[in-house]
Amino acid sequence: MKLLLVKHEELVEKISQKIIEANNVMREEIVQQLFSYDGPFSEVLRRNVEVARTKDLPLCQDTGFVEFFIFIPFNAIFERPIQESCDEAVKKVYSSKPYRYSVVSDPLYERKNTRTNTPSICHIFHWDEEKLQIRLLIKGGGSENLTTLSMLSPTAGEEELMGKIIEHVARHGSKGCPPLRVGVGVGGSADKAMLLSKLALTYSLNDVNPDPRYESLERRISEKLNQLRIGFQGLGVGPTVFSVHILQAPTHIANLPVAVSFDCYLSRIGVVEVEPVRIESR
Amino acid sequence: MNLLELKVGERINYTGCMIVMRDAAQRRIEKLLMEGSNVPIDLEGKIVFYAGPTRTVDGRFAIGPTTSERMDKYLKMLFELGVSATVGKGERTEAARKLCREYGRIYFVAPSGAAAALSEHVERLELLAFEDLGTEAVYEIRVRDFPLIVGIDCEGNDLFEFIKSASGGDRL
Repeated sequence: MKLLLVKHEELVEKISQKIIEANNVMREEIVQQLFSYDGPFSEVLRRNVEVARTKDLPLCQDTGFVEFFIFIPFNAIFERPIQESCDEAVKKVYSSKPYRYSVVSDPLYERKNTRTNTPSICHIFHWDEEKLQIRLLIKGGGSENLTTLSMLSPTAGEEELMGKIIEHVARHGSKGCPPLRVGVGVGGSADKAMLLSKLALTYSLNDVNPDPRYESLERRISEKLNQLRIGFQGLGVGPTVFSVHILQAPTHIANLPVAVSFDCYLSRIGVVEVEPVRIESR
Repeated sequence: MNLLELKVGERINYTGCMIVMRDAAQRRIEKLLMEGSNVPIDLEGKIVFYAGPTRTVDGRFAIGPTTSERMDKYLKMLFELGVSATVGKGERTEAARKLCREYGRIYFVAPSGAAAALSEHVERLELLAFEDLGTEAVYEIRVRDFPLIVGIDCEGNDLFEFIKSASGGDRL
């Protein structure tokens, strides 16, 4: 049987580079959006892009919880547990750069800062490809607080689904550093829908759902949300959302879970790919 | 310029000092007050900036506002301690508007997601209290030409309410 070996050091190095890039360098498609905005604070937001890049500073002081969506070849083996490789990269970057440690250990009682920004959040999937792919999301706490789950009636239609999302963004959108990117997980179980809504945030603005019905729904939700005119900084000028991304999954006859996650305007995402070394085993 | 006379929506560049604190520090101050203990920070007449800076490396750091709404539950406490204005990001609750009116205090919004640029307006960052809280400790910063917009004025007028009513019926 053919096996694939993923090297720990290579993983740590590649992940580290991508974390720094996502935190410090605004992606080109977001730069384009930002530079077409000329409302309140636009001059500061534009200068921020330049200062971050030239002074090796993060675009935002909330350098986030780092979330990884890891697609592993089914026949891959690792030198270290994948969570350990991801955490090592996070720790290395966050302790050497002027980033923030934003993670506390116990959530309810001590809330003591771990002072490494770890643990990171790792979601692991197996796939039938020869390469390893890691999609990462630098997730700020402000936009994370907007996350919501609705267990709709299985007979609910797209109007009800759209209504839920629009109502939620109208009420809370200004607090998540808009224009937002909206990730929607439809179907599965409650937890699966939530996971899909997060994974959806790792896609680029122009990535659309391959199913034309869902693509149309993405576009219509996006149009409706932009009619809210929340705008950059919630100050009423410019788009309210950059994009809406839906991922759907089979669900139970009694259920229609709809999870909605949000990402701030900085859209700090990245994709790391690693070609594992082929080894033969007997 | 008397900051308290500013009206909702006015844009200023502020030069002066601010006390930086957020969730954990305010929670601790509340606890100290409830125990009857001394609060180790003088907030009389001060501006409180809801923020948690990054670590400083080779003199470089980034700082920017966090969501103000989470701090609404401590706003009365801050005003009782003499805080004259708060700075953060986003819309606040009705309770915050009422408190601003009642105490004649003001809320500013600062640009969010612009922490590298904002750090260039910070001339000094100094730890004041609660060092164990890390980024959530209390700091004092001295800023120059720090960009702010009045979010709630001392009569309780709210910029976000105004924006909502201006975009009117097509919000939903």
